Amino acid sequence: MGLTRRDFLKTSIAASTAATVGMPLAKQAEAAVKGAEAGWQWDKSVCRFCGTGCGIMVATKGGKIVATKGDPDAPVNRGLNCVKGYFNGKIRYGADRLTQPLLRMTDGKFDKKGKFQPVSWEKAIDIMEEKMRWAMKEKGPTGISIFGSGQYTIHEGYTAAKLMKAGFRSNNLDPNARHCMASAVVGFMQTFGIDEPQGNYDDIEHTDTAVLWGANMAEMHPILWSRITNRRLTHKPMKVVNLSVYGNMSSDIADLEIIFSPSGDLAIQNYIASEIVKRDAINHDFVKKHTQFATGPYDIGYGFRPKNAEKFHTAAEMEIVKNEKVRVLDKWEAIGQRRKEGEAVEQKNAATPMKDWAISFEDFKAALEPYTLDYTAEVAKGDPDEPMDKFKAKLQQLADYYCDKNRKIVSYWTMGFNQHQRGTWVNEQAYMNHLLTGRQCQPGNGAFSLTGQPSACGTAREVGTFAHRLPADMVVMNPKHRAIAEKIWKLPAGTINPQMGSHFVKIMRDLEDGQILFSWTQVNNPWQNTANVNHWIKAAREMNNFIVVADAYPGVSAKVADLILPAAMINEKWGAYGNAERRTQVWRQQVLPPGEARADIWMMLELSKRFKLKDVWGAQKIPGLEAGLPDVLPAAQAMGYTPESTLYEVLFATPENKKFKWPDNAVAKGHGNHVADLLKDGWFPEKAMFEEYRQFGTGHAHDLAPFDIYHHDKVRGLRWPVVLKGDKWVETQWRNNEAYDPYVKKGSGFDFYGNNGQALVMGDLDKPGDPAKKVDISGKAKIYFRPYASPVEKPDANYDLWLCTGRVLEHWHSGTMTRRVPELHRAVPAAVCWISQKDADAKGLKRNDLVWVESRRGKVKVRLETGGRNRVPRGMVYVPWFDEGVLINKVTLDSTCPLSKETDYKKCAVKVYKA
Amino acid sequence: MNLSGILVSAKPEHVMSVVESLHALEGVEVHQVEESTGRVIVVQEAEDIRAEMAGLRHIKTLPNVMMAEMVYHYIADDNDVYEGIPPELAEEEQSEPCAVPAYLHD
Repeated sequence: MGLTRRDFLKTSIAASTAATVGMPLAKQAEAAVKGAEAGWQWDKSVCRFCGTGCGIMVATKGGKIVATKGDPDAPVNRGLNCVKGYFNGKIRYGADRLTQPLLRMTDGKFDKKGKFQPVSWEKAIDIMEEKMRWAMKEKGPTGISIFGSGQYTIHEGYTAAKLMKAGFRSNNLDPNARHCMASAVVGFMQTFGIDEPQGNYDDIEHTDTAVLWGANMAEMHPILWSRITNRRLTHKPMKVVNLSVYGNMSSDIADLEIIFSPSGDLAIQNYIASEIVKRDAINHDFVKKHTQFATGPYDIGYGFRPKNAEKFHTAAEMEIVKNEKVRVLDKWEAIGQRRKEGEAVEQKNAATPMKDWAISFEDFKAALEPYTLDYTAEVAKGDPDEPMDKFKAKLQQLADYYCDKNRKIVSYWTMGFNQHQRGTWVNEQAYMNHLLTGRQCQPGNGAFSLTGQPSACGTAREVGTFAHRLPADMVVMNPKHRAIAEKIWKLPAGTINPQMGSHFVKIMRDLEDGQILFSWTQVNNPWQNTANVNHWIKAAREMNNFIVVADAYPGVSAKVADLILPAAMINEKWGAYGNAERRTQVWRQQVLPPGEARADIWMMLELSKRFKLKDVWGAQKIPGLEAGLPDVLPAAQAMGYTPESTLYEVLFATPENKKFKWPDNAVAKGHGNHVADLLKDGWFPEKAMFEEYRQFGTGHAHDLAPFDIYHHDKVRGLRWPVVLKGDKWVETQWRNNEAYDPYVKKGSGFDFYGNNGQALVMGDLDKPGDPAKKVDISGKAKIYFRPYASPVEKPDANYDLWLCTGRVLEHWHSGTMTRRVPELHRAVPAAVCWISQKDADAKGLKRNDLVWVESRRGKVKVRLETGGRNRVPRGMVYVPWFDEGVLINKVTLDSTCPLSKETDYKKCAVKVYKA
Repeated sequence: MNLSGILVSAKPEHVMSVVESLHALEGVEVHQVEESTGRVIVVQEAEDIRAEMAGLRHIKTLPNVMMAEMVYHYIADDNDVYEGIPPELAEEEQSEPCAVPAYLHD
């Protein structure tokens, strides 16, 4: 009996699966694999979706991707894949893939009100050049902007940062990562003076407790979740706690599920701290040697427009936005902040929310006093139908875990903490409890911020594609940092603009009020992912500006653009990502992009050929910077440049960079590079940019290995700092811990060297004291006291429900990609609105009813869901944001954490009624 | 047609009973069993991803199954697989291409 094609395939799939997880193969099965996979070329790659960073093997044949499988050698996922990872090979093949540039035109000419028509790349770049020149002539360097991405490859992000900051002298580059982990960044920088988690995923196999704070790992990080599940099943003391504002899949194996009210997490963290203090669970030796208590102002506003808000907001919106100036304290924040209920507090520190100062342990202790079990339970109980005593018992159990000195504990969070009007504070509170008990930076112990995007860490943060950043944690506002960057980039002193650029939401506001006239979107969908989006759609379509969107599929942003550029996707270009555990991973180009689609890096390099130094390096006006930017052309000439040199020659195809030749068969091993082939300059841009970028971190605790090391067959990413020991590049598993981190001072045990050279003024809970009296915090982490603060918009008689937004397992982000995989699309075709059965009954609504979800800002039509995987408490609805047909960001509130400028997508007030 | 390779884990003492339950599932074939470690390799054939994911979820909830995750996916290279365009885009194709769709306005 012969095998059918199907039988043959099945035998082969079984054998490959077995081989992937390290099970021995039967002879017959081996033969089947050989047969089925004849002529396939397997190569290592990385998943393009979330921040976990799973390794994926990709098979190509005849220029097409034919199969994918989990990478058995990848330490992150050990051969497993979640459902998104599983479809990496398929996202390329949607029927509406963009394959040529499209420009809005009427009668063959650009017209903002025209219809999209195909144009050549030549013409596309012509019009970009023309519009950028116009924008810079009108407004100077701040008249242009780029929306960047946490999905940028490292090379792309670095190219964008250099083009904008060194070339155009504009800091208006900000990534969608601003929406996803800016609060984590500011939390790290304020606490430790250096960004990104000290621990890594191996903590899971070392710990006794995993506490999820606003991270639905089962749906959002399924591979890490499979590791937690495994630990839970094989390690007896292991406990899992799920803290969330609604019940979700992560509760299924949790030992403790705590449903808390929006912003109730601020109170719960302080309750835990107060129990640690009360029960003397403090690790006194650790706290004394390695920490400093600190605090900052409470009157910091809510991240709304600081000026002229009335001009742009409706009266209904102003009911909330007016809190930016004066906040009338409610009962709970009055208690938590030691003030009086009803007190009108002028938000004096709205422009200076980052201020901080040292306090004594006695003051810290006093600040925690209001956070009793009774107070915390009243503030934080999220399910009105849960009995109070039951909720209190859960809080006590949670405090028991944190106070048990013999228990190892890891706290995980993602958007629940980060997308929070006090996102930076709540991040800092997580470190507070781990530092108080001395359980940070050790195997199985630590507060660990997870990321949502594949290179939010590797690109957005490490390369620094933010409005204030330079590579390796440096910032444009710091003259020493600018000097370092100008030296590596071979720029005249004074080239880099010292004024922070516009953050993501501010770029939108600048488009709305006409301050920015040109905007370029890369690897990102801003007109879907930004809150209160009705304003921004109007700004893009009705203001006199020029919007360029590079994308692989026509998402919302492409549709509101003036020019669409067809972008190459992950396996169509060379790339590198950095995941949430500091692991830098690379891949090669596997297949060619379809049609005329091109990598973003090529688009930027081509554009850079159009501008000469004389266009951009003369004196420039910068609003708010009296002296403006100096004319650096004479200095440039002294360095050997001419005013006629192009940005391409000065920034990218430099003599040093051209030493990295293409073809480079030692690394490419037969793989192509469409970017190098199109440039026809004989250099390898991705390798050159990576090697140049590496200079920033080397010797500064951000060390990366050379490009070729990451591409070695045996390497599956390395966790930075990666330092050369003998002839080996060695990664760092736990930073700030002497046993693992080469940067730690010998004999210190732990060393928070990010704060070396820093000092804080000593003060009390309300204010900093004598500026002359400073405390040196070299080698120390800060333990912040941060108070409870109520959400700026709360349900009332008219808008009677909380709205929380987020993701679902099958789709990821705005769905531009995952919605093109028909299977994924069919699984969850349209977003639904989850509501509790009780609320539905009370409103006379039932499952599958079409309803309006409406806020002060806008409304969307959506189907109602009362069952399924999410269990929202009475008083709340949940709507995922992947669906552009249910554009929930028309409804959400554009309030941000004032420190991090990250939007709070998790809490605003809505009403729901039948459509 | 969807073909996926799935790793199922059980405690070694329960592995044979798990294999028995797996055999009973439609579209699921047990291809390899490693008794000493409790690992089982199955191949699942399903009509579409809804059925495929329901199947995976079903496997996860079988008695004594500790873990089940996908490992391998074969990309069927036939047009049917790529045909399903999201409905709102299909509608759009009939009107003018890439206009700002009505649903972006109120």
